[in-house]
Formats: sequence, C-alpha cells, structure tokens
Amino acid sequence: MTNLLRVELYKLKRNKSFWVIIAMTTGLSTLLHYLVVIDWWTMSGTVFNEAGLSELNALSPFTTLLFFNLIVSSLAGFFISVEFSSSGVIKNQVISGNKRSHIFLAKFLVFSLGAIIVTILIPVIIGILLVILFGHGDIINTSNLLYLGRAYFLFILPFLGYTGLITVLAMITEDSGKTIIFSILFSIIMFAIEKFPKPLLIETVFEHSIFYQFSEVFKHTMTNGEIIKSLLIGAISLMIIILCGIFMMNRKEIK
Amino acid sequence: MSEFILRTNNLTKKYKNDFALENVNVSIKKGEIYGLIGQNGAGKSTMLRLVTGLSFPTDGSIELFGNDHPSELTEVQKRMGAIIENPALFPNMTAYENLEVHRLQKGIPGRSCIQNTLELVGLLDTGKKKAKNFSLGMKQRLGLGIALLSDPEFLILDEPTNGLDPMGIVEMRELIKRLNHEKGLTVLISSHILSELHQLATSFGIIHKGKILEELTLKELDEKCKMHVRVKVDQSAIGATVLEDTLSTTDFEVMPDGTIKLYKYLNDVRSVSQALTNNGLVIEHLSQNGDSLESYFSKLVGGVDID
Repeated sequence: MTNLLRVELYKLKRNKSFWVIIAMTTGLSTLLHYLVVIDWWTMSGTVFNEAGLSELNALSPFTTLLFFNLIVSSLAGFFISVEFSSSGVIKNQVISGNKRSHIFLAKFLVFSLGAIIVTILIPVIIGILLVILFGHGDIINTSNLLYLGRAYFLFILPFLGYTGLITVLAMITEDSGKTIIFSILFSIIMFAIEKFPKPLLIETVFEHSIFYQFSEVFKHTMTNGEIIKSLLIGAISLMIIILCGIFMMNRKEIK
Repeated sequence: MSEFILRTNNLTKKYKNDFALENVNVSIKKGEIYGLIGQNGAGKSTMLRLVTGLSFPTDGSIELFGNDHPSELTEVQKRMGAIIENPALFPNMTAYENLEVHRLQKGIPGRSCIQNTLELVGLLDTGKKKAKNFSLGMKQRLGLGIALLSDPEFLILDEPTNGLDPMGIVEMRELIKRLNHEKGLTVLISSHILSELHQLATSFGIIHKGKILEELTLKELDEKCKMHVRVKVDQSAIGATVLEDTLSTTDFEVMPDGTIKLYKYLNDVRSVSQALTNNGLVIEHLSQNGDSLESYFSKLVGGVDID
C-alpha cells in the first residue's frame, strides 16, 4: 500500500493537468477574492455573510457542488480515467501483483489530496492572504478562525465522500470526457433536488446525504447534535462509497 | 516445488454467448520459452489477460508457481513481468520516469536497476524525450523494460514484436534467448508470426477459436514439418530391409501403422518405387509429405493448405 501511495503521489506531481488546475484555481480564486475585497462584487445571502466574513464571500463558489465539481471532475478525468483507457497503465499496477482494493484506495486517497489542495486549500489561503493584504486582517481573529476551522473540518468528510464517488465514476467511465460530463449531470440533478419541491421521502434522504451537508456545515452556529449528525453522515457515506468502490474494482475487467 | 510455472485447468472465458476460451489446458515448465500461436482473435490475448489477473475466468482455474488460490495468485504475480497488448506507458513521462513509477510500485530499492534496464533494452540515450514521442519500437522496448525491471522469473509477452523493425525483432529475440539461458527466465510469448516464434520458442501451444488444438515441443514440431516420402507397402518389414539394402539408407522411420517415413530420395521418388516393386512389394501409398510451419498450422486450424 505504501508503495502504491508513493507511486500515486509521484504521478500526481508529474500530472500536467493537476498543475494546470492549480494555476487556474489560483488565478480564479485570486480574481474572485480581489473583486470581493475591493467591493467591486457584492454577494448577498452567503454563509460567510451570516458569519460576518463577507470579505471571504469568494469562498462560496468553492463550497458549492455545482462549481467545485468542475474542478474535482476535471482532476479525476485526467488523473484517474486516463489510466483505465485502452493503453492504460492500470494494467501494470494489476499485473505487478498489487491487491485491487489497495490500488483503489491509493488512487482515492491521492486524488482526494489533490482535490483538497485545489478546491479547499488554495482558495482559503489566497482568501486569507488577500484579506490581510487589503487591510481587513482584523476579521482573522480567533472566533472567526474557529468558525472556519470547524466548518472546513466538517466539510472535508462529505467532500471525501464526493471525491470517492467521482473516483468510482472515473473508474467506470474510463474516459476523462465522460467523467466530467456525467459528474456535471449528477451535480445538476443534486442542485435541482436541493432547490425544487420534492416528495417527503426524497427530501428526507437528501437531508441525510453528503450533498446537504456541503452547505449545512457552514452555518454560523451548529448545535452539538448537528455536528455529530454531520460527522456521522460524512463518515458513514464515505465508508459505503469506499466499500462500493473496492467491490467494483475487485470485479472490474481491465481492458 | 512444482516444476510447472503455469498450469491452466479447463480455463474458460465466456462473453455473453460466445466462448473466447473454452476448456484450455496449458502447462509451462520452468525454463521454457512457450510460444502461443494463433490467428488474430483466436484467444491468445484473452488467455494472457486471465493469467495476469486483468480479467477473470468464467470457469476453470489457473496455477502459478504452484499456487491456485486467488489471493495467492495476486501475491505470486509479483514474480512476473508482462506486456499485454500494448505497452502501458505514461505518455508525458520519459523512459526513466516510466521505469521509476514501476520501481516505486514494486518497491524495488535503489535506482541502479533503472539504468541497468535502460541499457538492457537500448534506451539509455533517450534522455528527456517523452514516451509519447517514442517510435512504436521504442515503446515496445520500454514496455519490455518495465516488464523486466523487477528481474522476474516468468515473463509474459503478448505480440512483443509488433511495430519493431527487422533489427529490433532480432535484438528482442536475442535478448529473450539470453535472459532464458543466463537467468533461466521462463517465457510465455504469443504471436501470429509463426516463423518468429519458431526461432525463439522451445514449446508451442496452438490455439484456435478459443481452444488449444495441440501442444508440442520444438523437436516434435520440426519432426512434423520435416519433408519426407511417405510409403505404405503390404509388408513393411521387408520394405525397410529393401530401403537399407537396395537404396543404402537408414534415414527412415517405420510408423506403428506400418507406414515408412523416408527422409532421403525426396527428389527421386521413382527410385524408391522401383526398388520396392523390384523386390515384389505392393505399394499401397507413395507420396511426398511435409509442411512448412505455416502450412502445418493452416492444416491444423482447418484453413487453406499453404505450399
């Protein structure tokens, strides 16, 4: 497993698409934060407004499934799917005598690490740096840091669940384009379920899914019960998705 | 320890209603170079994919290094190297980086094995050239390098000479022979180019429409393909004496059914017939036989006879 993790990290570091996504996220994040900080772009009704962190409003898109899916699925497409294509190097990993479950886990973990870097770390770090640079450093106080820490800590679990889903999708489609398209369709469906009226059963299922947690964890105040519920939903979903991924990988015919 | 590196027992692979492989039994001994001969679509790659764990059998079992339990198979695969169909390479990486990925994957300590392998497959001077810019032959050689990096005991090569120029083919053949002689490397190699396999393999399996039609050694194959005059007379014992005394040759065999296979007088069948009839023997059958490798294969799979 350690060998596989080292290989995946080696590949991620040399993946051109990963660096292109990093450059694009950095540029886009800088631009959005800059526009928000200089008050050129005013956003209302965001979770960060409610928390008194309107200067960090540009983080909102990066916590919205419809938007961050574009980043995550692109990375999955060019980091995972390509390896399963006809000339795919996945063959070498299987032939090398590695357990398929380990191959899946290593890919999932390193892909998730890359996704966290481009979707969470870069926007947050750039946001904080720009806020300080433009003279709003006073908002980076203990209370707000605790809020951001709690929110992002709780955000990571459902986020990992989602990267797990995308890992499975990338493995099934074996094509970067299909991975991106299907994930966009999927995120649109989730968006529609969230925004439009729905039967009670679907509403209940949705409210107990990781998709609901993406916005729920950014509430300014959360009760202990809500925090535990969020942790449980994230952890259980993650476990189920990983087990499904391993199950599918173990039965997959490698082309 | 089993003398067999690979044994398959009624190995079957079915896609919906079509059998890609049907009850295939193959045995490969340690130190052999086993050539799997078959037309395109005969089931060669399917068999190799099953052996390497890329695909799963519908029925039957595989025994590798004496182990046949699925979890053990994964473990013993570490002792194998393989190229299945195309060499699997990272196009945006150099030859060195591709080998480094594989080194990390297999947990091989030190990087000296990379230089040694690059030298072995003749890619030491590729420098920073990316694999995507390699010729087909260079890609094949890099694929072979990846398969050989961990110093495997069993090498599986699926059509390894595809895309190689004549010199490349000779080099690859010599390399495989050398590794077989020097390190006792067992090789399973598939090809539809019979002459190529004939120069390399020590044993053969002929596969057609998912079934193994015949398994034979190089000696047996050569024997079957050797040109001869096939004679059937009413008294084979006397016939043999006539050949020895009248035609002064012992280069013949009397088969269990009484047929005599004469390896001389190929261009003088008339003398043979004359000698036999002059000694009062009745010739029931007289013909010139023997196949080229292609013709033998073609006959076996029920195709057109190639002269």
